[in-house]
Amino acid sequence: MLCDHCGKYAATTHVKKTVNGKTTELHLCAHCAAQQGIGTNFGFDLGDFWGSLFAEPAKRTQEDTVRCPDCGRSFREIADQGRPGCSTCYLTFYDRLLPSIQRIHGKTQHTGKVAAQADGTVKKERELQALRDKLNACIAEQDYETCAQLRDQIRALEQEGEA
Amino acid sequence: MAQEKWYQRSGAEGDVVISTRIRLARDLAHLPFPAWMTAEQREDVITQVFGAFPNDQPCAFERRRMSDVPARELLAMVERHLISREFARDPSGEALLITADEGVSIMVGEEDHLRIQVLRSGFDLDSAWQEATCWDDYLDTRLHFAFDERLGYLTQCPTNLGTGMRASVMLHLPALQEKGIIQQLSVTVSKLGLTIRGLYGEGSKPEGALYQISNQVTLGITEQEAIDNLRSIVNQIIREERSCREQLKDSPAFEDRVFRSLGILQNARLLTGNEFMTLISPVRMGVALGMIDHTDLNALNSLLIDAGAGALMEAAGEELDAAQRDVRRAALVRERLR
Ligand SMILES: [Zn+2]
Ligand SMILES: [Zn+2]
Repeated sequence: MLCDHCGKYAATTHVKKTVNGKTTELHLCAHCAAQQGIGTNFGFDLGDFWGSLFAEPAKRTQEDTVRCPDCGRSFREIADQGRPGCSTCYLTFYDRLLPSIQRIHGKTQHTGKVAAQADGTVKKERELQALRDKLNACIAEQDYETCAQLRDQIRALEQEGEA
Repeated sequence: MAQEKWYQRSGAEGDVVISTRIRLARDLAHLPFPAWMTAEQREDVITQVFGAFPNDQPCAFERRRMSDVPARELLAMVERHLISREFARDPSGEALLITADEGVSIMVGEEDHLRIQVLRSGFDLDSAWQEATCWDDYLDTRLHFAFDERLGYLTQCPTNLGTGMRASVMLHLPALQEKGIIQQLSVTVSKLGLTIRGLYGEGSKPEGALYQISNQVTLGITEQEAIDNLRSIVNQIIREERSCREQLKDSPAFEDRVFRSLGILQNARLLTGNEFMTLISPVRMGVALGMIDHTDLNALNSLLIDAGAGALMEAAGEELDAAQRDVRRAALVRERLR
């Protein structure tokens, strides 16, 4: 998903705003989120996290048929028990857990170490992002020779695995 | 016991920093989190982790089942920061892997399936992280860690999602505590994604003036960023503590407190844990400032561990009641500070 604001980078910050009962979602990249002062305060409160799970009465009635394929829990059971049953719960109920996770960390996209069994798309995406950042800098500096090289590298990396 | 333990010597910035710790939370995919595991599943996790270190090869770790460890030794392990209090409470279905110098330990079956922990004397974040990430890599190739490209390592508590890394530095801050600015410091560091708390005792003046500062946020920040952030804040705290100590140094009241505390420790026949912590703190500051020269920071760091209730019982080889411990604690302290 691309940033709603600049449309250039991957959205990593997701904000929900409810005004007069109407909820709108905003998806921003790290840069635009920082510019708007979102996600820069790191404060968290554990009570806040689980409290927010309980504070979704409208959603509780729906989708309770969805269960974690590994431990069999529904979202409601996780909320009632105050913690997930297994790691797969996070993936099964990703969308519904994300607002609470963002409240804790201020961010929603992992940027640290990548485990061995990850499929590599994140690593590739990060490499691409680094190359695009370099390219932007070169364009600004009017270093067109390096630009051409970087563009080739980006194209090669993008095509990798597609063939 | 011939092998020297990590805590028996002081390290970098040892006048203020006691120790550094890196902890990584890791869970195995497709298994319930430990809180929900059956006895068989707990056994399965222990078998998998033990199995990651082949029996026919030399192993850096001693492998222990916690249910085989006597209660007094569990308490001593908590005091040596090897295991958590929660881990010691119910040792069934838990295991610990531990190196000879106790600098690396892996708790199996705590809040997460694995807690990889590296402890270092003094201020040593980089080498602690290097060692932790190395063992993490080793285990990663042999176990199937629960990981998601968006949320990072999937941990039982959402506060650990992302890197699953908690980097902590244990600080001795008697001068800042004396000045009453820890509260203010705590508010400041919380805005920077860090948390600081007293290590012993509740309230605004914990016994021993020992504090632990750690990173709080683990998602959307790299391990290196979290470590750099913590390092730069700790460096500022160290500078501040040192300058406050210099201001205290020449006051007769302070000098009196240092030597009065030393006098009691050298002569007392009964010492409770709290009294020991309260008295050792000004003595440690006196040693760091060069006012006392017949003991050193290495000896005091060891003493902080060895004077614990669990350590005293482990040394005695039997359970002791509080009164018996106070006698033994006073004897130990007299001998070490002679
Ligand atoms: Zn943007
Ligand atoms: Zn589950």
